[in-house]
Amino acid sequence: MKLIQLILIIGLLLILISYFRWFRSAVMDKLLIAAIMVAGIVLVVFPNVTTRLASWLGVGRGADLVFYLFIVAFCYLILLVYAKIKKLEQQLAELARRQALMDAQSPSTPA
Amino acid sequence: MGSEIFIIIPVYNEAAVIAQTLHEVMKTGHKIIVVDDGSSDGTGAIVKTFPVYYLRHHVNIGQGAALQTGMDFAKRHDAAAVVHFDADGQHRASDIGKLLKLVLEDGYDVVFGSRFLQHQPVNMPFTRRIFLKLARYVNWLFTGILLTDAHNGLRALSYQAIYLIRFSENRMAHASEILSQIRDYELRYCEVPVTIDYTAYSRNKGQSLWNSINIIFDLLFKKINR
Repeated sequence: MKLIQLILIIGLLLILISYFRWFRSAVMDKLLIAAIMVAGIVLVVFPNVTTRLASWLGVGRGADLVFYLFIVAFCYLILLVYAKIKKLEQQLAELARRQALMDAQSPSTPA
Repeated sequence: MGSEIFIIIPVYNEAAVIAQTLHEVMKTGHKIIVVDDGSSDGTGAIVKTFPVYYLRHHVNIGQGAALQTGMDFAKRHDAAAVVHFDADGQHRASDIGKLLKLVLEDGYDVVFGSRFLQHQPVNMPFTRRIFLKLARYVNWLFTGILLTDAHNGLRALSYQAIYLIRFSENRMAHASEILSQIRDYELRYCEVPVTIDYTAYSRNKGQSLWNSINIIFDLLFKKINR
């Protein structure tokens, strides 16, 4: 693996983590997903874009660049879904807890 | 500052041993809160025949969540201290007294039972021993607190601890989460030697390696997801 590849991947992953840590919001999430989709469409319509971008970065083929970006986009989407699942689990726990507390049974005979 | 003491026992599908466990804990004379975390094997029916408080999650959420539900109930019932106690028979009811003494008389906020402090554990599987030794360093990495026993469910909490500590980790990561909260709130804590009994029954359960990978991932994820 070339140095530039490593730097790109690490750099992008760091951006990903800082986004999660400090800059997240529901709107940003949707915008980023939309951006990923749009980028995908653009790359399909203008395949030369990646080739020129890649040689400018010194990466190699355009396909390689797309691959690295895809790794990061994939990690992002996975983390997004996982965060959503965690949030749902917490809400589920709160609901189950509320019900449990409401239906609590006292000892039928003194302890 | 509360006046009641509660033993909180979270339980999930322990129909085979829960009666035995409850018999033992009842000998201490303390009030018992059993939180049934969605058991489907008839555990609930057995528990209801005992003179205990019985709460039930209708779906299985996790041990951490069950403990928190028990603590919320204890708070509403004038708790001065609580003890967390496992349902599967690994803990000894006779150890409860020494944990409570440290909370009620010596002013500790959280007292952890440790199986490694005094005597060597009875019948402990070798892999489990290694695993727990490693786990305590993982906890130390994340929380700065180094205990001798990373994953002992036997704990006592003071009035202050009950109100400050809140388990947001629903599953098993609560053992690590409680440490970071102890550090954040600067609570007084200590460990006491307790005995853990590894019966053939409980050997088949216990933390699997996969589960610990889950826990580490959740801890890391919490660090980046604010």
